[in-house]
Amino acid sequence: MNANNQFDVIIIGGGITGAGTQRDCAMRGLRTLLIERSDIATGATGRNHGLLHSGARYAVNDPESAAECIRENMILRKVAAHCIDPSDGLFVSLPEDDLDYQKTLVQACRNAGIRAEIIDPDLARRLEPSVNPDIIGAVRVPDCSVDPFRLCAANMLDAKLHGGQVRLHTDVTAIIKEGNTVKGVRTHNRNTGEDTDFYAPIVVNACGVWGQELASMAGVRVGMFPAKGSLLIFAHRVNNMVINRCRKPSNADILVPGDTVCIVGTTSSRIPLEECRNVAVTPDEVTLLITEGMKLAPRLASTRILRAYAGVRPLVSADDDPSGRNISRGIVCLDHEVRDGVKGLVTITGGKLTSYRLMAEIATDLVCRKLGIDKACETAIHPLPGSEEGSYEEVAKKIWENPTTAQKVAASRLGSRVSRIRTGDRRDDALICECEQVTMGEINLAIERLEASTLTDLRRRTRVGMGTCQGEYCACRAAGLLAKAHGCIEKERADIDSFLQERWKGNFPIGWGDTLREAEYTQWVYKHVLGI
Amino acid sequence: MQYQEYTQSENNFEECTKCSICTVFCPVLQVNPLFPGPKQAGPDGERLRLKDPGFFDATLKYCLNCKRCEVACPSGVNVADIIQSARLHYDQTPPKLRDRILACTDLMGKMARPFAPLINGVASKELPRTLIETALKVDHRRIFPKYGSRSFEAWLRRRQKEQAAFPLQVAYFHGCYVNYNYPQLGKDLVKVLNALGVGVQLLDKEKCCGIAMIVNGMRKEAVKNATHNVSIIRKALEKEGVKVITTSSTCTLTLREEYPALLDVDNADVHDSILIASRYIFECLEKGATLKFRPDYHKRIAYHEPCHMERMGWGIFSERLLRMIPGVEYMPLDSNCCGIAGTYGFKKENYDNSQAIGAALFDQIRAVNPDIVACDCETCKWQIEMSTGYSVLNPISILAEALDTN
Amino acid sequence: MRYDAVIIGGGLAGLTAGISLQKAGKNTAIVSTGQNALYFFSGCFDSIREPSPEIQALFSEAGIRLHYSPGVRLMPMGTFRESALALEDVSIFPNPQFGKKVLIINFMAYHDFFSSFLAEGLEKQGMECRIRFLNLGDLAQPDLGPNQMRAVQIARKMDDVWEKVVQEVRVLLKDEDTVILPQVFGLKDATIPEKIRQGIPARVVFAGTLPPSVPGIRTQMLLKKRYEVLGGTYLMGDRVTGAHVYEDVVQSVVTKQLDRHYLEADNYILASGSFFSKGLISNPFKIYEPLFELDMDYNMDRNTWYDPSFSNHQPYLKFGVKTDANLCPSRGGVPLKNLYVIGSILGETHPELGSGAGLAIRSALKAAQLITNQT
Repeated sequence: MNANNQFDVIIIGGGITGAGTQRDCAMRGLRTLLIERSDIATGATGRNHGLLHSGARYAVNDPESAAECIRENMILRKVAAHCIDPSDGLFVSLPEDDLDYQKTLVQACRNAGIRAEIIDPDLARRLEPSVNPDIIGAVRVPDCSVDPFRLCAANMLDAKLHGGQVRLHTDVTAIIKEGNTVKGVRTHNRNTGEDTDFYAPIVVNACGVWGQELASMAGVRVGMFPAKGSLLIFAHRVNNMVINRCRKPSNADILVPGDTVCIVGTTSSRIPLEECRNVAVTPDEVTLLITEGMKLAPRLASTRILRAYAGVRPLVSADDDPSGRNISRGIVCLDHEVRDGVKGLVTITGGKLTSYRLMAEIATDLVCRKLGIDKACETAIHPLPGSEEGSYEEVAKKIWENPTTAQKVAASRLGSRVSRIRTGDRRDDALICECEQVTMGEINLAIERLEASTLTDLRRRTRVGMGTCQGEYCACRAAGLLAKAHGCIEKERADIDSFLQERWKGNFPIGWGDTLREAEYTQWVYKHVLGI
Repeated sequence: MQYQEYTQSENNFEECTKCSICTVFCPVLQVNPLFPGPKQAGPDGERLRLKDPGFFDATLKYCLNCKRCEVACPSGVNVADIIQSARLHYDQTPPKLRDRILACTDLMGKMARPFAPLINGVASKELPRTLIETALKVDHRRIFPKYGSRSFEAWLRRRQKEQAAFPLQVAYFHGCYVNYNYPQLGKDLVKVLNALGVGVQLLDKEKCCGIAMIVNGMRKEAVKNATHNVSIIRKALEKEGVKVITTSSTCTLTLREEYPALLDVDNADVHDSILIASRYIFECLEKGATLKFRPDYHKRIAYHEPCHMERMGWGIFSERLLRMIPGVEYMPLDSNCCGIAGTYGFKKENYDNSQAIGAALFDQIRAVNPDIVACDCETCKWQIEMSTGYSVLNPISILAEALDTN
Repeated sequence: MRYDAVIIGGGLAGLTAGISLQKAGKNTAIVSTGQNALYFFSGCFDSIREPSPEIQALFSEAGIRLHYSPGVRLMPMGTFRESALALEDVSIFPNPQFGKKVLIINFMAYHDFFSSFLAEGLEKQGMECRIRFLNLGDLAQPDLGPNQMRAVQIARKMDDVWEKVVQEVRVLLKDEDTVILPQVFGLKDATIPEKIRQGIPARVVFAGTLPPSVPGIRTQMLLKKRYEVLGGTYLMGDRVTGAHVYEDVVQSVVTKQLDRHYLEADNYILASGSFFSKGLISNPFKIYEPLFELDMDYNMDRNTWYDPSFSNHQPYLKFGVKTDANLCPSRGGVPLKNLYVIGSILGETHPELGSGAGLAIRSALKAAQLITNQT
């Protein structure tokens, strides 16, 4: 055992729960290591609406979750300001909806501490011009959108700034146990091929839906009941406020503006655990999402669709109920020492994106208790790196006299950290991704500081290739920069292939109209012009 | 309509496949390192501005509005409209005094005309020109259009009776240039149309088409002019068989296309009845009317199709008319922008770029060495005459000159 | 307005047909909705493998020199592809081991030319590579802005300063037998690439960049000029919006800009391209040809349109307008007598005509021939 491999706590899983837990642990002075099989935010974290719930959606059926959401919502607006678009949301009633539900909703919201006001449908139409003009009622709530990739990266970065270490693209191949005590993990780095053992008195299982697999390596059972949810991304922002249907939660009844796009979803269907790694959107789901989405904002009927994607919700059975009837949508924190007699293993799961910080706090509290550390959680007080200073306009103005679109957009993504891409070398201003206005400087920053090693990693950190053209020119431009940083062209060739494949996976389920024109052009560029 | 049968957003920016062909044709991109180019300023930028209007970029003012990007786009994206529309909607900075003055061609003309000899003198003298440059940031090298001492409106008004006697009638949207700077073009039109048996009427107090206001960020004023012009055009069209005729390609494009696209002024009912004179004359000839040309007219004429004429796809009409004149040796010039783009080239900060853009055209004119350059746009005329020394005439003036009236 | 033939679409297929018909004494018009796939033309007719004097002559008359030499050409990312017929500035080698030492020249801050990928690809073939960067600002002023470093913008600068590049390369050149330059030369003047070759004492290879393609644009400009010199009417930026068909004969077509001035002709050629150019339109329910509603050769079931793997051949690219052996389409089962369909709107329904640029030219020549032979 060498000191470099010894930590106070090892967190498995680079989703928002894992990254948040690592940040909390690191801020409380622990030596932390985060291990992630592929990249940050690849599971449920990056495969949802990007909705920062006000809690209104849960208010009627799950008042406890609702109260949790509104508390966390208000905290994150402050500490994660550069990841959040404080847009507010509407719950709209259509003629076929029961208008009485509005009152039930508002009452439940008030009970949970959520500011909810019934507004005149005319006002709603003025506030959000894209909303279905036929609405008969509207409730305004403090829903807003959050960029899960940026949030996750900012948590990871802050953990690193507090001394944390991160190993991405690294598999946990075994849990190292002595008797009934977990001592560490055996890992395999997919990039380098290296096998390494890491040790810590506590291992936190933050693997989301794959937590069952990890737990079984330690000989304990966590019952996951994965539910697939499919969503569609439209190519530009049709709405600026979150639009929800004011009725009992159902399929495809939320439309969320997210950065330059908007997202409608979701469907919901139970799937077996084995299928979690390869979920696909079916044609029926696409039809359902469009037709239901049109009821929220009719303009979706004629708006270009960018992608279809599906995620898996990590639902967990509250007790050890094997039937899965007793599902909890709340936060589940399992102390396996108490529950199963396996010392040194903690599972944190369930919950939702909005409540990730609270989940991390609960898990970290438990870790600290076990390590005998008495330090209070400060993640609700200290802003994430990037969120320290005001709006992107103020940040950009401080750095550039007349900021260009690309500079303003970079400031909106990086927050106060945008100062780091101002190197004084104008060549750093070269645009790599034109749709999302990502410059060479921003890409190099992500490679150097945010552990991006593939094009897909870069996409999550910078939005490169997330725009209208879906990587038509930027994939090979960015590949050049990655090749330069890593010195391996061969690997980059394969990387371009897998990036394009990953883009196509989301394009073909909605492959018609301008999306198909774009796809045809991308085929020409890569196959015929570039010869890939 | 079934869902997703057509995917066309409000201003069609989503049809852009990011192929970048527009960037090949943007004349500004070639000379100005600050301009992000039509694709980024247009459809790419629009998507970002829809997220946050604050992403508007002040460098969009470098767009000439030549619309060459739109002509080149294989996807039918109205790139320049998107850019100009963004400038009108998102630009927070009020237009400069200089821009306001340049944009109010109508008012300038009204004020300048009575003092035409004086103004023309002042504007061409060295010292006042330096003053103009310092005070107004209008480039001192720029030659100002001269002001006529009598307006075209006044000239035509005195001939209303004789014009009314013709069996066919058109209403003429003469524009500021013909009215104040170059009434001769209007007189040439009257001569040609009269020869075809068509009388020319004035509209009921037309206002400047407003293009200079549009590109200088004066939306309110432009909407006012547009609304007024559409209503007087509508009134003129009430008379059976009347068309509204113009002699400027830019006025035509503005009246027909820019009003609805940029100013939300509905002109759907009058749109098809607004025609540039060369198209109207071509139609008269197609219906059987004839023109007789002087046997002694011999000219080598190089035709420069103005950008806005190209956007309308109507260069073919001017070409057909010029080719029809027996003594004309017709030489088409390559498709290039002359660089002036209305008030754009007058601004001190744009002068060098403006001349650099036009260089290819100027070189070709010198190489071809024609007797006359033909062109349907008045600002191209100033630019080409100033930059090459060749004289430029509207095809209508060439027709009038070649016409045998005996 | 009346013509012998009206061609819908001004890309490689439309221009080839137009030039052939003008040469045969026909009076034609081309309606082109903007520019076309020539802007992404690699400079190579990959699907043409046999010598084609007819094609070479047609291009040569337009000032475009082609060469025929079966072998392989270097792709922009350092791989090789079999080729035979190409523009003169595209080199074709008997095999991929064409040199020993290679000097690759790129521009600083230019991300659309893949010098490091080229080097790696050539090193795999046993070549030794050295990459050097030129600073565009040292060669031409005003410099390009950081987001203006694209092939065409650089090419416009190079039109004036290519001789300086030759000098720079001569200074940089040590014992290399080959110099690789990006395809950013000869936009205005097609002879520049050859002059560069003469000025550098090594084999000069021009490697492709990201689109728009400089040799492609040059090809388009020269073909269009040739067509106009032959008396053809090229209506740029206009769009055919509809057609009048009486029984089995096309009577006229309507364009957006000329509206009531219908274009009438004895024959019509549809060269409106595939999905990209909107020659074919797709929605969730069908794929169709929008102008004449021609019968299509495709599978209605959307699930069969795609292959989930990006790298596999995509079924939708095979779809096209259904035509007989003489490229005549039908509508509701009725063949249209005076309409010919050429170019990529055919999809892969005529494999014997090749694909891409090869299909465009071959089908265009065939249609022009059929029209010319009518009595």
